[in-house]
Amino acid sequence: MPEAGTPHLARLQGLVTDLVLAPEADGFREDAAAFSAERGLGPDDQAALVLRRDRWLLYRDLVRTALEDPLLDAFPVTHALLVRQEAWTWAVDAFLASRTVSSPYYRDVAPAFVAWLADSRWGQDRWPFLLQLAHFEVLELDVVRHPDEPPPPGLLREPASDRVAVLDPAARNVAYGFAVQAATVEAPEPPSACAWLLCHRDRDGTFRVLELTPHVSALLARSQEGQALGPAAAELGVDPLAAFELLRDFRDRGALLGFRPA
Amino acid sequence: MTFSGVGLGLRRPHIEQVAALAAAPVPFWEIAPENVVGTGGARHRMLTGVLERDDVITHGLSMSIGGFDAWLPEVLDRLVAFLKATGTPWHSEHLCWSSFGGAHTHELLPMPFTREAVRHTVTRVKALQARLPVPFLLENISYYAELGAAEMSEREFVLEVLEGADCGWLLDINNVYVNSVNHGFDPKAWLAGMPLHRVAQLHIAGHTWLEAEGVLLDTHGAPVVDPVANLLAWVLARLGRPVPVLLERDHEIPELAVLLAEREALQRVYDRALAGVAHA
Repeated sequence: MPEAGTPHLARLQGLVTDLVLAPEADGFREDAAAFSAERGLGPDDQAALVLRRDRWLLYRDLVRTALEDPLLDAFPVTHALLVRQEAWTWAVDAFLASRTVSSPYYRDVAPAFVAWLADSRWGQDRWPFLLQLAHFEVLELDVVRHPDEPPPPGLLREPASDRVAVLDPAARNVAYGFAVQAATVEAPEPPSACAWLLCHRDRDGTFRVLELTPHVSALLARSQEGQALGPAAAELGVDPLAAFELLRDFRDRGALLGFRPA
Repeated sequence: MTFSGVGLGLRRPHIEQVAALAAAPVPFWEIAPENVVGTGGARHRMLTGVLERDDVITHGLSMSIGGFDAWLPEVLDRLVAFLKATGTPWHSEHLCWSSFGGAHTHELLPMPFTREAVRHTVTRVKALQARLPVPFLLENISYYAELGAAEMSEREFVLEVLEGADCGWLLDINNVYVNSVNHGFDPKAWLAGMPLHRVAQLHIAGHTWLEAEGVLLDTHGAPVVDPVANLLAWVLARLGRPVPVLLERDHEIPELAVLLAEREALQRVYDRALAGVAHA
């Protein structure tokens, strides 16, 4: 029951929000009048909602389709995994019931799903890699659509011991406990092996994934924190000349903007 | 800049092709700011190039104008900046609500047809209009059910909001037609007595009949049918001025050439309707 003093308009909109997002829509299907009365609506409103019960259930389908579509686009592998286990619909139901989608930007629906997985830990007892798999899938959208920014001034082309590497703002240096990049729609369970990935977009804007060694990943992470490449390489036991060659390759691929003094 | 003729909604599958053209193949494009602001990348750069090259009208999707949720300052700031950058002559939104209690449905949900809802919506429209750098239009939506007990008809509700908010009207011809079929009224009678002087833009689109539900759904997923094109001509003749018309297509999006051919057919409808006015 809404709080006393809740505007009539808010009670109506609250009812529809419950109807389209909450799992208890069966209550509306079975007894729309009682469902409406429980939400503080009077007999006239109850009668109107009963009269159009099927149309409001159509709205429920429309909303759920609108919010599921971007998930199907963004998470083909996660979807393949959960559909095989007959759990996809449960996941979508639980996600919608959480009311995590709050952004007016439709593109934020898929990232909201990952945020919900992280908060709720839904399904992760059964699939311990689920959050990481979904995170990796949505990373593609994050990288490809990242806002363009002008490069910072004073960038240098060559790496050196007293310089740090400057990542492209769209690039992500990430680590996972499962080899999520190896999962496919056909084989959606990722191998149980750690993965260090540099995800970026190339000059044409296409999503690319570079598999790193843990030491190179750590070198990039330390560089992002401001530690010069020379000392960082020494502490990590990485051959600096080999690392510089690798960093030049990352730069040529568009993952790095260049270098700057530490 | 005077906008007229039949424009097209610029959609993701066509951006690369449109960007490669030397000039716009349409009088104007319509674009949703929500799909552009705050993003980047190769496709975004192509789109930005098109928006700089061609004439653009903006149309919002998710401000939930009839809702209660506050508009985030950064969302408004981005919107304002985008409207200024595109040089759009106005900005429009749907006469509906989409979010409640912070939960966004990304669906155009109908307002109850009540005096309270009129007052609430008018207040929200005025508040939004005060923040925008261009005039604001409201679009009448398709609705499949009344939300609660109505105190007035949908027609009276739209009229009272437009008059109360003193804003422009994006008259969606297809939505009037869809509602007329679903709720059993004459669309021309619905339009009679409405404030056509407020109409600054028209929308036209296709729809889909759901046999099982017995309802016409405003899908924007099919070509415009003759009754809707005929209603467009009827409205244009009564307007008697070259209001820009936008052909919407959001689902089952065909090749650009197919959409351009449909646009050209509607442009002929448009030209004939206004030629009739000129010779009357």
